[in-house]
Amino acid sequence: MSKAEFAIIGTGEVPCGIYPARSEFEIAYRVSKMAIEDAGIDKNKIGAALTAVHIMGSEYNTEMFFGRLPEAIGANNCRVVATTVSGGGSSFSIRKTAEGILSSGEAEYVLVVHAQRFSQFTPNEQAVFFAHAGADLEWEVPYGMTYNALAAMMTQGYMEYTGTTIEQVASVCVACRKWANLQENAMFRDKQLTLEEVLKSRTVAYPLTAMMCNVLCDGGSAYIMTTAENARKVCKRPVYILGEASDYSHRTITKSKMKDLGRMHEFYTPVAQRAYQAAGLGPKDMDIFQVYGAYPFANLMFLDAMGIVEPGRAGELVESGETSPGGKYPASTNGEALSFGHTGTGVGFSCFVESVRQLQGKAGRAQVEGAKFLIEDCGGGAFMDVHFTIMGNEDPNL
Amino acid sequence: MSMKETLKEKLGLTDKDFEKPLPKPTAWSKPFWDGANQGKLLLKRCKDCGHIDHPPYLFCTACSSEECEWIEASGKATLYAYAVNSYGVPFPFVEDLPYVLAMIDLPEGPRMISNVVQCDPEGLKNGMQLEVVFERASEEITLPKWRPVKGQAINLEAVRTINGEGNDQNL
Ligand SMILES: [Zn+2]
Repeated sequence: MSKAEFAIIGTGEVPCGIYPARSEFEIAYRVSKMAIEDAGIDKNKIGAALTAVHIMGSEYNTEMFFGRLPEAIGANNCRVVATTVSGGGSSFSIRKTAEGILSSGEAEYVLVVHAQRFSQFTPNEQAVFFAHAGADLEWEVPYGMTYNALAAMMTQGYMEYTGTTIEQVASVCVACRKWANLQENAMFRDKQLTLEEVLKSRTVAYPLTAMMCNVLCDGGSAYIMTTAENARKVCKRPVYILGEASDYSHRTITKSKMKDLGRMHEFYTPVAQRAYQAAGLGPKDMDIFQVYGAYPFANLMFLDAMGIVEPGRAGELVESGETSPGGKYPASTNGEALSFGHTGTGVGFSCFVESVRQLQGKAGRAQVEGAKFLIEDCGGGAFMDVHFTIMGNEDPNL
Repeated sequence: MSMKETLKEKLGLTDKDFEKPLPKPTAWSKPFWDGANQGKLLLKRCKDCGHIDHPPYLFCTACSSEECEWIEASGKATLYAYAVNSYGVPFPFVEDLPYVLAMIDLPEGPRMISNVVQCDPEGLKNGMQLEVVFERASEEITLPKWRPVKGQAINLEAVRTINGEGNDQNL
């Protein structure tokens, strides 16, 4: 463990949902401005502007590759532009890129942006795209493989081999919805959800019902990152990156390093532990467990790895209500993909900026009182990788 | 009216929108697909270290050797986990709904994604014994699929043990 090197000093976010008239450019410019204002810095101090790609590809990507953002927001002293992407793991890989740029001394402040507008594509285009994101074109797609089917068979195996019940899986959706009901920017901020509604909704891919699957939507967020040393000077309540750890498993799910769906924690737990060790903290120190799983079984699978329950028992924990608002182990405090909204690579970003807001005391009605430390995760593809991050509003190693 | 005809009418689709995506064999996977066309399930085995790669790649993923041979698999397998697609699939598959996708474990080592066919989805059980069947999809492509072996007893504990012991075989 060593003292934190980097910190976040401001965030911006627009409401998540179906907003066809709001372009991804408008989202990117808007969240940039919000993050700069929230950080309280001059826009001309931004030295690098990083964007994550719009995952289904569009003119937006080309424009961001070729430096549209600094020009559009008037970041006149920006020296570096780059696009970094690794699917759902992008919020992590882009942050590592930002850290490298800050370490090089080329920039004092890095602006990191994600914007997405899925509503420009038809449901079939989305289904085809996500089938290809999660499945192999030669070996799986010809069999009618879809992303929902991938998650469904993993759910089926996870339940069978850990003894988790379908009610426990469904309870993740309910807990996420309770958090989303407290979030201004959540897609489902105004809609309540009961366990019965989750279980009784139409079967999409057995054992998954429609309410256990994600709705692709539009949204975006941004944040400003600087060195921890500088953050202490310019920000009243910076959020420090205290520990990080990653691992890669596979591209094709059949090549997963851990073949036993009842023992996935044996792959994930050591990674979480490395992140805890880097921070010099443990599960007991965490005030929030910012899980990004997208599908409910994956939310449980990552909770299993975070050290608060015996692996395989996360379903009981969520079912008990302890991860819901007011519970002992607040988890996924923005409702994550299931209830905040699925913006492709953006889910990791929305969970990350929510983490920053919580630790800055700016989480509004969803605020976990006195939150000081948290753990968050992200990963992409067909569960290709995992990244755990420990964050805090104080540095225990200083 | 069939689902396909309804979709064509409602969304202005053509037959092309319903053409199934088929594998485009690579230089290193062509023997697999040639084998499937002849009703054989082939696996790529490294001549230097014996490692079996599925999916196959350009060279052995264990030792990087380019010397390989194609062996015929037993055609038997175990159902590890499954899903039943029921709604919201790409157009070419709507007429197949509901259909089963599964993780299938071969005794030779690899795990495959494929369909379990000729079965009642509600009768599927993890640990079930399967046997390969070949379905011709086009002039060039035949897809190996699986069906339950008739009259079997299922031992789920054995599946757990096999997977526990074999966990690092593909590392
Ligand atoms: Zn070899």
